[in-house]
Amino acid sequence: MDVDIYKYILLFSIFHSSTYLMFSIGFSMLFGVAKIPNLAYGSLYIFSSYIMYTLIRYLALEPVVAALIAVLAAGSMGLLIGETVVKPALKMPVTIFITTLAVAYIFEEFFRIEMGLRPITLPLYPGVTYVLGVPVSNHWFLVLTASLLMFSLLTVFLKYTVIGRSIRAVAESWDESRRLGINPLKVLRVTFFMSGIYAGATGVLLTPLKALTPTAGWGPLFTAFAIVALGGVGSVSGTLIASFIYGFLEQTMTYVLGSGIASISPLILIILVLVFRPQGIMGRAE
Amino acid sequence: MSEILKCEEITKKFGGLTALNKVSFNVDRGEIFGIIGPNGSGKTTLLNVITGLLKPEEGRILLDSKDITNLKPHERVKLGIARMFQGMRVFPYLPVYLNVELVARAVYGDVRLARAKTSWALTMSGLLPEAGELPTKLTPYKLRMLEFARILVSNPKVALLDEPFAGLTSGEAETMIDLVKKFNSLGITFVVVEHKLRYLMKIANRVMVLNQGVKIAEGKPEDVVRNPQVIEVYLGVS
Amino acid sequence: MVFVKRSARDLIISKTPFLAVLAALALLPLLGVGGYWLDVLTRVNLFLLVTLAIDLYSGTTYYLNLGISFTFGFAGYALALLNVYYSIPTEYSLLLAIPISVFFSLVILLPSLKIRGVYFAILSLLVPIVYIGIVTAQPFSLYLGGEGGLRFKQLFLDFARSLPSDVRLVFLQYSYYYISLAAAVIGYLVAYKIGFSEFGFMLRAIGQDEELAEGTGINTLKVKIIGYLISSSYVSIAGALYASMRPPVTVDLVVPANTLIPPLTSAIVGGLGTVVGPTIANYLLLLTYELMWGFIGRWRVIVYMLLLITIIVIRPQGLIFKIYLDLKKRLRGVLRE
Repeated sequence: MDVDIYKYILLFSIFHSSTYLMFSIGFSMLFGVAKIPNLAYGSLYIFSSYIMYTLIRYLALEPVVAALIAVLAAGSMGLLIGETVVKPALKMPVTIFITTLAVAYIFEEFFRIEMGLRPITLPLYPGVTYVLGVPVSNHWFLVLTASLLMFSLLTVFLKYTVIGRSIRAVAESWDESRRLGINPLKVLRVTFFMSGIYAGATGVLLTPLKALTPTAGWGPLFTAFAIVALGGVGSVSGTLIASFIYGFLEQTMTYVLGSGIASISPLILIILVLVFRPQGIMGRAE
Repeated sequence: MSEILKCEEITKKFGGLTALNKVSFNVDRGEIFGIIGPNGSGKTTLLNVITGLLKPEEGRILLDSKDITNLKPHERVKLGIARMFQGMRVFPYLPVYLNVELVARAVYGDVRLARAKTSWALTMSGLLPEAGELPTKLTPYKLRMLEFARILVSNPKVALLDEPFAGLTSGEAETMIDLVKKFNSLGITFVVVEHKLRYLMKIANRVMVLNQGVKIAEGKPEDVVRNPQVIEVYLGVS
Repeated sequence: MVFVKRSARDLIISKTPFLAVLAALALLPLLGVGGYWLDVLTRVNLFLLVTLAIDLYSGTTYYLNLGISFTFGFAGYALALLNVYYSIPTEYSLLLAIPISVFFSLVILLPSLKIRGVYFAILSLLVPIVYIGIVTAQPFSLYLGGEGGLRFKQLFLDFARSLPSDVRLVFLQYSYYYISLAAAVIGYLVAYKIGFSEFGFMLRAIGQDEELAEGTGINTLKVKIIGYLISSSYVSIAGALYASMRPPVTVDLVVPANTLIPPLTSAIVGGLGTVVGPTIANYLLLLTYELMWGFIGRWRVIVYMLLLITIIVIRPQGLIFKIYLDLKKRLRGVLRE
């Protein structure tokens, strides 16, 4: 009997961790470069989902096509947000908290008015596979694959491409990168776009599993925030480690304590870690 | 004791790097003691340790025979160590007079005494007309004077100057030299970290040379400058 | 020294706008301003305390304490708990809740006072989130009321019940309003005193260059702790008063979006480090939001948010104080003729 619980915990820890990884890496990258969290990140998550939903429902597009368009739209929207609301406020970074939060509210209100509060859902990847005797929707495998793929692509991109290295340089120091001839603002633009793509992809992939409402953006945002804080701002490997710690801890606590406390136990852990190591697991000390 | 500042075996490490390695030296009361060395030799780190912003792994610091190694920076200020930072560091959004008065208030209990001392320090450094202005409106020379005023106002036992001649014209540097000499004659001991040997040689009684965190020479300026090790270390550095 | 003594006339002129506004606010209920708007103003008055708290501490030292909503809500919960489980009358619970809340806020945030920059902000933001999670989670929600909140006896309810029934509601509304107004005025005056005292300058020194401040002889740790005490006292008073006037106390009080963002916005838009700017901004922004309900209805949130974004993007350092100074200059010029 006990063995079953371990199977569940292991399996769903891995699956949930991969979802957390997905929506945290985009956030982490942007946070690392801009040095300020983008609180409109959750908005891009719901934005792409609603776009895909509308495209499928009203234009009868193929899911895959709709997904691609939705993700690109999210990327562009991310870029737009960056240009209008973040760039001008860089003189006083605190204000970015407020402006991006305002954007998040605007999106939530807009979708609340236009789409209502009823949850919507997107098509699920069909089929069920049995793993260790546990039935698992194939969509989870899609999510797991996509998550690992997104992570690997990002790591490769950051390590081996010119733009990727520029992003890392700017995340390390705006002044130093300027001296190396890099334009941090251009890099910021690219990062906004990419972050939007990642947020959008996450929305499109996760909504089939978790119905979407206008307020659904906050959960991913908070979780991403906590995970990035734990893993270290701007560290992609830190985000990976933190996502899995978060996922495993949450799943284990759910079975041990019940879902109430379980959802915040990772947060308590994070606070404890941050008190002793404010830069997070892989972060750079100031 | 004629030593007003004594540093024993100061060792400071950052991660794997040893910035200061068992640096020991004494500064006599009333002298002007110079510290020179190429970039990265640990000069500013040493000042940071003496003022308390960094904690050394090993070593002791004694001010007037009192062990200050475990005291916080602000406590050391009150005991008589004043510091001029590298690169014209003042409070950019506080008016000139306040930059000075904050030091005075910390050192002197009485408000009126603090204000009087502030006026005096501002007059001495020629900043009285600009007292209500923000430091951003000052020329580099006047900024240096502001930093000087901050040191003067606390009537310190030892004043640590970090590259005081940087950014000054030769005329301004001469004025600075005169000021240092004048206040030295009034009883303030100076420790001057400097890169521009030309000016330092004119005022220092003794000089210590650091290279990569290690003291490689100490003595009268004329002697140190002729030391072959010192020459080698400075070769290629203007 | 270098300061010119202001003439008596100058002094009176500079105080007049403040006194005029104060008089207007004090007389509002008597001028017939009714229930809904009195409640709104009561709320705005209390929020001023939070705005000033942010301005006085985060606005000077640049330690972004985003855990303020925790302090605000915790004061409310302390109040409710004292009233419900210890049967202490609300009026006394109110007074007791304040130091309790300050104490807990200090204890929780103390370890993070040595952490600089972004990390302090991140850590402080997690505190209210964790608190919300704890309060709504299983073992604790039974005692703390969970989602529905903890019901307790409203402030002055007993006394109100002794009054004739048609006066009760008005009495409560008026008493709440005047308490909030008194708190706001006192808070403003104290903030002004602190902001431009030596202590205030020390806070600013820390914000501009903490290392240099230490080297200036300032005991930065002591100053930060005292500054934080003052700031959380303001917030605790506001939170306790606010909760006492509106039972039940729920986690809505702790949600950063409700009790952190509006005052933070007022502080920023008003001009961090000044006292007048955030005060004006507090009233301007919050009242505008209420007024919009009447005019724009459903789209008010979106329009308001767009307005906020525009204001901030135009001048991130804060618009209101600058406008205030310009107006003052012009007024002085006009009056001199």
